[in-house]
Amino acid sequence: MLQILSTLRRHRTASILIVLEIALTCAIVCNAIFLIRERLARMDQSSGVAEDELIQVRLTGIGKQDNASAITEQDLAALRALPGVKKATSINMIPFGNSSWNSSITKVLDATDGPNCGMYMGKNLIDTMGIRLIAGRDFLPEEYVAADDDKHDPKQVIVTKALADYFYPEGALGKPLYGAAGREPQIIVGIIDHIARPNDGFGGPEVKDYAILLPATMPFSFGGRYVLRVDPAQTAAILGAVDSTLTKVDPNRLILDHMTFGQIRRDHFKGDRAMAWLLLGVSIALLVITALGVVGLASFWVQQRTRQIGVRRALGATRGDILRYFQLENFILATLGIVVGMGMAFGLNELLMREYAIPRLPGTFLPIGAALLWLLGQIAVLGPALRASLIPPAVATRTV
Amino acid sequence: MFRMKDVSKVYRTEMVETHALRNLSLDVREGEFVAVTGPSGSGKTTFLNIAGLLEELTRGEYTLDGVDVKNLDDRARSHLRNAKLGFVFQSFNLIPDLDVRDNVDVPLRYRKLTRGERKQRIDKALDRVGLASRSRHFPAELSGGQQQRVAIARAIAGEPKILLADEPTGNLDSQMAREVMQLLEELNAQGTVVLLVTHDPEIAARAQRNVHIVDGQATDLERGAALIKQPAQSAVSA
Amino acid sequence: MFGYYFDLALRSLKRNRLLTALMVVAIAFGVGASMTTLTVLHILSADPIPQKSDRLFFVTLDPRRALGFRPGEEATFQMTRLDSETLLRDGHGKHQAMMTAGSSSIEPDRSGVGRFQPFRIDSRWTSADFFTMFDVQFIAGGPWTATEDGRATRVVVITRELAQKVFGTTEVVGRPLRVDNTEMRIVGVIAEYRPTPHFYDLTNASYGAGEQLFAPFSVAMELKLQTSGNMNCWGDGESVPDSRALGAPCDWVQYWVELASADQADAYREYLVHYSEDQAKAGRFQRPPNVRLRDVREFLDYMKVVPNDVRLQSWIAFAFLLVCLVNTIGLLLTKFLRRAGEIGVRRALGASKRAIFVQLLVESGTVGLVGGVLGLGLAWLGLFAVRHQPVDYADLAHLDVRMLAFTFALAIVSSVLAGLLPAWRGCSVAPAAQLKSH
Repeated sequence: MLQILSTLRRHRTASILIVLEIALTCAIVCNAIFLIRERLARMDQSSGVAEDELIQVRLTGIGKQDNASAITEQDLAALRALPGVKKATSINMIPFGNSSWNSSITKVLDATDGPNCGMYMGKNLIDTMGIRLIAGRDFLPEEYVAADDDKHDPKQVIVTKALADYFYPEGALGKPLYGAAGREPQIIVGIIDHIARPNDGFGGPEVKDYAILLPATMPFSFGGRYVLRVDPAQTAAILGAVDSTLTKVDPNRLILDHMTFGQIRRDHFKGDRAMAWLLLGVSIALLVITALGVVGLASFWVQQRTRQIGVRRALGATRGDILRYFQLENFILATLGIVVGMGMAFGLNELLMREYAIPRLPGTFLPIGAALLWLLGQIAVLGPALRASLIPPAVATRTV
Repeated sequence: MFRMKDVSKVYRTEMVETHALRNLSLDVREGEFVAVTGPSGSGKTTFLNIAGLLEELTRGEYTLDGVDVKNLDDRARSHLRNAKLGFVFQSFNLIPDLDVRDNVDVPLRYRKLTRGERKQRIDKALDRVGLASRSRHFPAELSGGQQQRVAIARAIAGEPKILLADEPTGNLDSQMAREVMQLLEELNAQGTVVLLVTHDPEIAARAQRNVHIVDGQATDLERGAALIKQPAQSAVSA
Repeated sequence: MFGYYFDLALRSLKRNRLLTALMVVAIAFGVGASMTTLTVLHILSADPIPQKSDRLFFVTLDPRRALGFRPGEEATFQMTRLDSETLLRDGHGKHQAMMTAGSSSIEPDRSGVGRFQPFRIDSRWTSADFFTMFDVQFIAGGPWTATEDGRATRVVVITRELAQKVFGTTEVVGRPLRVDNTEMRIVGVIAEYRPTPHFYDLTNASYGAGEQLFAPFSVAMELKLQTSGNMNCWGDGESVPDSRALGAPCDWVQYWVELASADQADAYREYLVHYSEDQAKAGRFQRPPNVRLRDVREFLDYMKVVPNDVRLQSWIAFAFLLVCLVNTIGLLLTKFLRRAGEIGVRRALGASKRAIFVQLLVESGTVGLVGGVLGLGLAWLGLFAVRHQPVDYADLAHLDVRMLAFTFALAIVSSVLAGLLPAWRGCSVAPAAQLKSH
């Protein structure tokens, strides 16, 4: 082993280069795989609603809408009459959607440090969207006010568990919250398990689970969308019938689009998916390039040391000895590369944490990354090492 | 034309100091054909390397065609080497990627010559060694003797003042060796100084002057008397 | 001499195809990836209006209530309608405009001439100066006047595309257009206007297609046409009945001013501070003056208009290029050292160290050149992939001449840099040792 180290010291430049290459690859690939994992986790997050049963329809009125509330009721009745539609409601925003309503919520009036929370408004949201209620109750029919009614504010509110725990860890039911509507508080009457917010970046990752439901009905001109809960088998038929159903109620409107929630979810995370693929591609390419670099260097060293190898064999070394020699040499280089690489990986991670708000690289990456690179190096050196082992001892005696 | 005075060359490694040449003095005049002999490890190769400006001397003076080589930088030495010297080696040392013409062309590229001038010289050199018909062949396609003749063509293409040959016939059979020696003698007759290192007494005998290097020092010998009184020495290899 | 070295380099590349392929492919991938992301970055960070980006300023104030005030914090994101209209009337800058994004429905007119299905388009509600300020090119007619702003005259400016779609021609000045149940008169037609990024309003798509219809802000308010973008209300906790009312405590309007020259910025800032103090005296503003005046570039920087993912991708590509280069250094080193024999011979024949160094650098550069050609193809493929991404700048991802030239420059420069160490090691080979065969 000491022999190997002294040999490497003599070929300092090439050794340093390969160690550097392994280190850089280690640092980049570790972080890349970590980022992939983060993106996949993000894409995996729960929406809190019954995803395969929901359809969203976006619409807008042409010109001023004086009768929006009444028309909304007619729309919903017509939609509910469609075969396969179990429930329908008008809403202001949906998880992973493109529109977002938020407010700073506090537990004391006029406090200024409340977290930014998503505000969902619409009638019977829990039933219609399949949200899981885990404590308390849903709103009562008499508790709903019209969202565009500026004389009446809602007096109740339902919050997500995360928000309830944030404000009232000892028990949130019956407690007041301020900031959602008017100067009077809304009393927490129910707690839901979770609902995702439209743009989870708003206000920062700490608040992505903070959302409230308000008992406010949305005329379509205010919220711009309907949500239908349907029998999944009839989705296609319903999507085909929605436009004509609504224009029949009132033709003075434009139906902008209709999509399943699955489609909305897919669209929302397209960027993450693309990024994950890019990271995967780069990681694989880096590993391949590094492996080829190892092959190139090992081949060169074998060629340079042909004579010495012949001499060794003439002096009694077996083919296996020669093979093992090169494998051991490669192992040492890989180890050096991994040690430096791990340091670089954590350093790079620090940088990413600061610039892109990514969490810290977990320690489990260390043995996994090391194992991967050792394996890669050994596979790469196998070819040249085998060739070296086949060098005949007669080489030692040749003078040319 | 070529003068070394009290030249010493010392190789220093971490542990060992080797004196390859000790106060070697030698004068070579125009038109001479000098065979340099000596046992292995005597410093012949080092002598040739220093003469060829391939290595720097540790102490002493070396004047080549009137130019003192001390304090010349790498650029000047290369330039001098290119202008005044031609090399022929035991293992030919042709560049395998290049054909015969391009091999002969190599030293000419490091001078400022036009394309026409280079072509002229290459043609002349190849003619001189009798290989004009093989100008587009690659070294691998030629016999040993032919390769050495290409090497000679390359060496003389620049019309050097001195030809340095290091065992030029070492890898050739006797017929080819004779051809090569004949060529060298012809070149010498036409005015090129030839400095030939060899350990073959027959070859040495053909030279007009014999210099014997032993233990890093040079002595002139009587022609033909070269190797009779040689003790077997095994000095430290240079 | 350079021609000679180039010829030698090509021969050497041809001789050792495997090694060459390895190096060329590594460089090509590194360059291709870097150029793809660099091109996207270049497009997204471009100055959208370079001829006057230092004279156009985004204005914001701080009209919020005293509660929650933290010294040093940012002004409001956008402006209130009241402040915008007041400053607009004052007209203190060379040109100024207030604006917001909106959308409108276009319908065929009552007579049914040219029937089509109503459709929705992105619109902008703004004031007369918008067009001169942002150098919008008219192909027919012109902008409306400040008087028409004041009177909320029903006029619109539309794009060529909209004109073609609705009327089949661009000779439409003076004709009526039915917008959200109201008939408006077309006063001007503009060529396509798509600044990249969409700097004057980044609240929707920063790189999207731009608006098709422009109408006076006053008209949009009167007719209660739809607005979109960012709406931020503070109030004192009371519900805000109509957030778009003149006195509403909400910021949602963009306000841009063009000054005669960049050095007038300080004077204008002073003016805004005075305005804030006056408003405080009148009891409206409750905080100390907190004004922001950012020119186009500062504004884009502040808004971090280039998406994080794009910046991250650029770094990833460069890290990748770095590894490819380290790889190339190693491969070039082995390539040159394998030729130690030839190098020794050339040195003996009169090549100086420097000549060999240059020869080897030319060889490195040649590898880069070949890698650059391949890398260009890969970059083209990469941008092709970007164009199919679900992002609003997708169709902008093209290689222009400058980026093309840069690709080659990057490939050659980086491979020459990679070749420095190997070339130096190569030329340092001691000729004597190479010439004697043992």
